[in-house]
Amino acid sequence: MNAEIARLYETLKLVVGFIYPNEIELHWNLLIVIYPYITGLVAGAFILASLVKVFKVKEVQATYRLALLTALSFLIVAPLPLVAHLGHPERGFEMFMTPSPSSAMAMFGFVYVWYLMAVLLLEIWFDYRKDFMVLAEQEKGYKRLVYKVLSLFTKDNSPAALSFDKKAVYAITVVGIPSAFLLHGYVGFIFGSIKANPWWSSVLMPIVFLFSAIVSGIALVLLIYMVAVLVRGEEPDMACIDKLASFLFYMMIVDFSLEFLDFVHRIYQSEESIQILGQMISERLFTSLIVIQLILGMIIPLVAIALVKMFKWPAEIRRLSYFIVALLVQFGIFSTRWNVVIGGQLFSKSFRGLTAYKMAVGGVEGLLVSLGFLVLPFVILYVLIRWLPPWEKEHAPSVPNR
Amino acid sequence: MWKRIPEQIRHLVVPIVALVIIYFVARHFLVPPTFGLWGHYRAASVVQNAELPLKYAGSEACADCHSEIASTKKGGYHRGVACEICHGAAYTHTQDQEKQKPQIPRTRANCLLCHEYQPSRPTGFPQVVSESHNPLKLCTACHQPHDPRPPHPPKGCDACHATIQRTIAVSRHGDLVCTTCHEVPNNHRLSPRGNMAKKPQTREACGKCHAQDASASKEIPRVDMASHGGKYLCWECHYPHMPGAR
Repeated sequence: MNAEIARLYETLKLVVGFIYPNEIELHWNLLIVIYPYITGLVAGAFILASLVKVFKVKEVQATYRLALLTALSFLIVAPLPLVAHLGHPERGFEMFMTPSPSSAMAMFGFVYVWYLMAVLLLEIWFDYRKDFMVLAEQEKGYKRLVYKVLSLFTKDNSPAALSFDKKAVYAITVVGIPSAFLLHGYVGFIFGSIKANPWWSSVLMPIVFLFSAIVSGIALVLLIYMVAVLVRGEEPDMACIDKLASFLFYMMIVDFSLEFLDFVHRIYQSEESIQILGQMISERLFTSLIVIQLILGMIIPLVAIALVKMFKWPAEIRRLSYFIVALLVQFGIFSTRWNVVIGGQLFSKSFRGLTAYKMAVGGVEGLLVSLGFLVLPFVILYVLIRWLPPWEKEHAPSVPNR
Repeated sequence: MWKRIPEQIRHLVVPIVALVIIYFVARHFLVPPTFGLWGHYRAASVVQNAELPLKYAGSEACADCHSEIASTKKGGYHRGVACEICHGAAYTHTQDQEKQKPQIPRTRANCLLCHEYQPSRPTGFPQVVSESHNPLKLCTACHQPHDPRPPHPPKGCDACHATIQRTIAVSRHGDLVCTTCHEVPNNHRLSPRGNMAKKPQTREACGKCHAQDASASKEIPRVDMASHGGKYLCWECHYPHMPGAR
């Protein structure tokens, strides 16, 4: 028997109640879980970067460039799960050629390109331009040429030009914040606007997505920063780590409140779907929603950061706590995406039955490819860090004045 | 003027303008000329599809020659079923009647595509459980497919209302015969749609057993007919085929 059919039979055994025949198999699978997770990390990392430039939070300066590079490396991977899910990558460009403004999904390309080209690449370019010029002077051979191309052959390093770069970075960040909101709010909007699905259809969806994105982005940059400091054998900047943890804490409170509001709203409205959704949470999503998303991903991290702040523990214990918290938050937010995407397809539109999700291991839509998409941004980030060092000390040498 | 613009902007403008030009040039060459003429699609694709070879002739073409069968079918239950649903695509037959003969399905499986019992099919739609319904006979031995009335009227209601029968059989109303509540015209079994059975139109129909002063068995739940449910008929809130259901 063909593996797909075998899986269908396996799933059929897990179906309870009455469901329509086309609801047995899930059409949006693990790859579509990864897509909002990754775009969320992009938006979150960018918002963190904007804290330094727009909101002048000096403590987290050390993570500014790292956050930008993290956002870029995850943004490069963000469309890949969609392309893999849809198949036919050779047709991908057609959404640019013949834009269809009446379809939110078809406009993804433009939202993506705006964010990549008009925000992230421009901001990184203006921020690194001085470094590119310095590195082009220092390096030899092909590296010199690469840095020259990256600097777009600009040579002006006068104080006026460098101050112009700073102003440009500020302006782009100001535009970038609503753009980051647009990018991830858009992903939430895609789900929130599906009015036939009571698990998705909610005006709160884009906002909940956005705040969970900020939470996951801050936690990710915190993790990467701590690992990077460890690998480089440097003394971690505790003021920066503490500040990141504080922002993580505040954002988690907002995120938790929004999700709680959504929950209470659903219960109080008690629309006809409430029974099947309740059954779905207790039978199908208990581990991923109650255990991982709520307890491990939200309550334990909140309590842990609150305890750390209250009792002023020594730096090493604080770091260890933050590290575990950030890791738990990643699992929690991944679970959030899982519960939205997979949860929305587990119950029948007849509200009378539930299906189950049998994940494939191999194949384009399987676990291995998905893990690949989760590892790929780190590989890209490694390459980016090698070429565009984000560390403060390394770009200290002044530019030779021409 | 150009020199007064900061160097960064001047150097940035070049790749940006280049990208915009590449985009519009690519659009010029890649977007098909007829795209968007009638809607968000390539208009020429309609012409291309219209040029594909025909496969189906349509029932009207069949009726041109097979007028007798067409008029039989017109009065029967299969009047809404197109000829080519059973006989297959027959455009070639209209072009060459001798050499291209349409299929005549004689297996049971063909009829069971629509008439095998499935709980999701609408109640009243004729369905059989093929394993118990004359398993060794061809359908056409008893039913004339162009006018497929049953060879004899069905014996019980469950022949057509199988889902309801299965539901009520395990409910507290399992002992009741259908006519306890439904008024069934004599010819309903012969011509069901022309002689529809009726649902109870008064609250008293249920009150016969469920009113406080009803003479039925004491175990049957009672309600105060004057105050319970207001203006609504009983079955507008309770499902009589499964009264315990919520």
